[in-house]
Amino acid sequence: MTTTAPRPPRRSLPYRALAAAAVCGALALSACSAPGSGSSTQPRTKSASGISTDPAKAGKVTLSVWDQEVRGGQNAEITQLNKEFQAKYPNVTIKRTSKSFSDLKTTLKLALSGNNPPDVVEANQGYPDMVTFVKAGMLLPLDSYAQAYGWAKRYPSSLLALNRVSADASHFGEGRLYGLSQMGEYIGVYYNKAKLDRLGLAAPTSWSELTADLAKAKAKGELPIQFGNLDKWPAIHTFGVIQAATAGKQEVRNLVFGTGGAKWTSASTVQAATTLQDWARKGYFPSGVNGIGYDDANKQFAQGKGVFDITGTWEAAALKGPMGSSLGLMPTPPSSKGLATTGGESLAFSVTSKSKTPDVAAAYIDFITDAHAADVMLRTGNLPAVPGKAVGKLSSSSIEGQMVAGWQKISSADGLVPYLDYSTPTFYDTITAALQNLIGGKATPQQFTQTLQADYSKFHQG
Amino acid sequence: MADRVRAAYRRRAPGEPRALGYLYIAPALVVFVAMVIVPLGQSVWYSLFSWDGLSVATWVGLGNYGALFSDPTLRGPFLHALVLLVFYSLLPIALGLLLAAAMSRVRLRGLTFFRTVLFLPQVLAMVVVAVTWRWIYAPSGLLNEALRLVGLGGLAHSWLGDFTLALPAIGVAGTWVGFGLCMVLFLAGVQSIPRERYEAARLDGAGPWQEFKAVTLPALRPQIAVAATLTIVAGLRNFDLIYLTTAGGPGNSTAVPAYEVYHRAFEIGQVGSAAAVGIGLTVLIFLLTVVVSRLVEGTQ
Amino acid sequence: MISSRLDRTLTYAVLVLFVVIALVPVLQIVSTALSSNEHAQPGLLLPDGLHWHNFVEAWQRGHFGTYLRSSVIVTVVVVVAAAVLSTTAAYAFGTMRFPGVSVLFYLFLLGLTVPEEALVIPLYYDFRGLGLTDTYWALILPQTAQSVAFGTYWMRTYFSRSSREITEAARIDGASTWSILWRVLVPSGRPAITTLVVITFMWTWNEFLLALVMVSSDARRTVPLGLAFFQGQHSSDVALLAAGAVLVALPVVVVYLVFQRRFIEGMLSGAVKE
Repeated sequence: MTTTAPRPPRRSLPYRALAAAAVCGALALSACSAPGSGSSTQPRTKSASGISTDPAKAGKVTLSVWDQEVRGGQNAEITQLNKEFQAKYPNVTIKRTSKSFSDLKTTLKLALSGNNPPDVVEANQGYPDMVTFVKAGMLLPLDSYAQAYGWAKRYPSSLLALNRVSADASHFGEGRLYGLSQMGEYIGVYYNKAKLDRLGLAAPTSWSELTADLAKAKAKGELPIQFGNLDKWPAIHTFGVIQAATAGKQEVRNLVFGTGGAKWTSASTVQAATTLQDWARKGYFPSGVNGIGYDDANKQFAQGKGVFDITGTWEAAALKGPMGSSLGLMPTPPSSKGLATTGGESLAFSVTSKSKTPDVAAAYIDFITDAHAADVMLRTGNLPAVPGKAVGKLSSSSIEGQMVAGWQKISSADGLVPYLDYSTPTFYDTITAALQNLIGGKATPQQFTQTLQADYSKFHQG
Repeated sequence: MADRVRAAYRRRAPGEPRALGYLYIAPALVVFVAMVIVPLGQSVWYSLFSWDGLSVATWVGLGNYGALFSDPTLRGPFLHALVLLVFYSLLPIALGLLLAAAMSRVRLRGLTFFRTVLFLPQVLAMVVVAVTWRWIYAPSGLLNEALRLVGLGGLAHSWLGDFTLALPAIGVAGTWVGFGLCMVLFLAGVQSIPRERYEAARLDGAGPWQEFKAVTLPALRPQIAVAATLTIVAGLRNFDLIYLTTAGGPGNSTAVPAYEVYHRAFEIGQVGSAAAVGIGLTVLIFLLTVVVSRLVEGTQ
Repeated sequence: MISSRLDRTLTYAVLVLFVVIALVPVLQIVSTALSSNEHAQPGLLLPDGLHWHNFVEAWQRGHFGTYLRSSVIVTVVVVVAAAVLSTTAAYAFGTMRFPGVSVLFYLFLLGLTVPEEALVIPLYYDFRGLGLTDTYWALILPQTAQSVAFGTYWMRTYFSRSSREITEAARIDGASTWSILWRVLVPSGRPAITTLVVITFMWTWNEFLLALVMVSSDARRTVPLGLAFFQGQHSSDVALLAAGAVLVALPVVVVYLVFQRRFIEGMLSGAVKE
């Protein structure tokens, strides 16, 4: 048995010459042009008259769809709708690929720029994903479909706006429409009624009551907030809610949309960061929160560990199962700045520009967002972006009833503020790492806001 | 130097001159050049640009390499990789030597069983390793439960969420993967040391430590070189485990070069910088393997 | 004599300790995979019965049937191609002399130290340019090349040691170099080739980064990647996840147990794959 490690080549003239030749050969293949100079794809746009809204006439079609609806209620909803769509159009086969949010986020760019992109994908709004994809010509503008299907009547313009990107792909919030979202969502405060009762507390009605309750719960040996941040993104929501309460909706909107010269280093954002760090320091979160998985944390909450759980409406269906009637949900209670909470709509179902069957893809998107789809969503414990007739049948004490009531309350108060990671193309990365640092006590609130501002100014100047 | 190598090579290769050789090599060479050498050259080329992977790149010369030293978010991963080498390479070798030293004093039965089991972690896919170690480190996972069981509950941690402990925690998983390899390697080496050498050493009145230093260690030098090379390369190519456990977090405290390559190139669109990290990693691996083989050669 | 017995006991104790350390994380997965989902939680516990249906459920919900098919296709092609290509190349390197032979061999050796991370970016853009991402080719070709570097190094050692008398005798009988290789050297080199095949099998089966970058559709996803995404979706369904992990690890572990001798020898002989 030989046991010598392979030796690296010794340097001497012939080898060096050969190595040089090999590298030159390699370079010759890339033709000494800058990478990327040969590729330019501009998506075709169709006029409203050139499109077909009847998939039945499309012949045999396989529609490849990527979604992140993997949680209980969402999975049930999309499975049901896919089945119905295929029953209605037997010539269409849906090939569904579902991944978790994180996995979808890390692989979607690769898939879209690859040779074989899916027809329909769920794209996250904002600069990191949707704007980047549009800039690279990977998504198809859907305005003519919106006209054909009347989507502008189906959705309030504020929700459509989140899925719009300007023609030069420099900003989002207006311009061409690149997708449609199925569900509304907001970050709410879930609470364990049984625990609140035992603590002698009622559900908080204001931000200051909520913070007071946290201290009381802690003093009585309860875990105030169940939370897990190993996946890095959940803290965006926790911080977003605190920031919305301290800075108010207008300032947050200005920050994310890049309007009005707002700064992340403002006193109110520093204040919000201080609050989050305080909560961590005072033990309002489980210890080692950066090492707990998001799903694990919610599972713990469902098993009765923690008084509150601040997370999105997408968790309602999963939490309801084990907790039953002891589960309560409300929008983040209003602060002195008014009712404001992070939220908006679920990821947008978009059509890729390389799709061979954009008409069928658009028809599919239309189908999974119409009034019937809204009823299916509601029945499966989800919050449709535009709740339909079935809302009337909901009991107001059920978790779905509370969820929809909260949505209507927020909508009428115009209280939604966008997700913070929309802010710049690199902001998701910047803020997730910075939040782990802040929560772990590795950065002061000032340093935290300076990190965010550095990323932000780099983007808005360049 | 090169002449000597060539002369030695000529002595060892018995065959006669044959142009036919090119034909035998050609298929392998074509695949190898097209899939390894050419991409390596292209990587060097990409690394000289600032490129988002979508639009046209701009030339930055050696700027991306300068950033490897000046940018803390790039310097950090390389430092983390060096810390991990302690766990991926030094520790397994030290454990392996400890066992080899113990073994050198006795004859052992059941060697096949031991080496089969000790080697097992080495053949598992990193995805599987990641799943099991995520559980071990979970707040109510095996490690914390074990600590509580022996009354050390105060030491329980959220291992992967702790800024100082996450990196060593990943490292320990790496030690687990690699220690069997080193042990099995050294077991084989020790078994082939003639017993007389130990007897001679004992006659000279050598204790266990002198015996280890004078007999075992010198005899195991080639195995140590192999173990070091294998574990160093494995330690620096540590993408899967990081990607599947912490994704570089908390903060950036477990970011390593291999992860940065993927993250920058395919997630955040900094392709040039990613290529520079990849080339930097190649250079680092190359240098360390040279150092290892020099160390072994120099003392022989 | 007493000290020798003490030594022996101590040595066994140390060995057993390390065996336990090596096995506990593995047993954790197996025991969790057999537990019911309500009972299962991260940690080492006796399963509450043998819930084989976890495997069935993981197989169906995790599409492991599809992924196994992809993995088998990719692995078989890579292993066969790498074995054939490196055997022929190593044959020339080990038994023939011609100008440039050592330069070329060092080029292959260089390939052993190049990490995949340095290649994956250009490989992605090259394959995309050729319209080959999300195909098996994008997994097969790069992995074949990387295995050929090791295989050539490994097989050359065998060929340069092979007995010259046998080759000479065969040549005098009028055998061509080609038939000497396949009729004489390859049959007697079966142990070396088996080792090569087993090692290449393990590397290819466990490969992750390339599959993550190159493959986007479900139909061509390999098992390690399948398990990674399965973990994203079912991170709190502990029993299912464990069952998936067992499904991924099982083929390699079986091959390893059958060929463990060859396996370990191969790894120990200075196998340095990037």
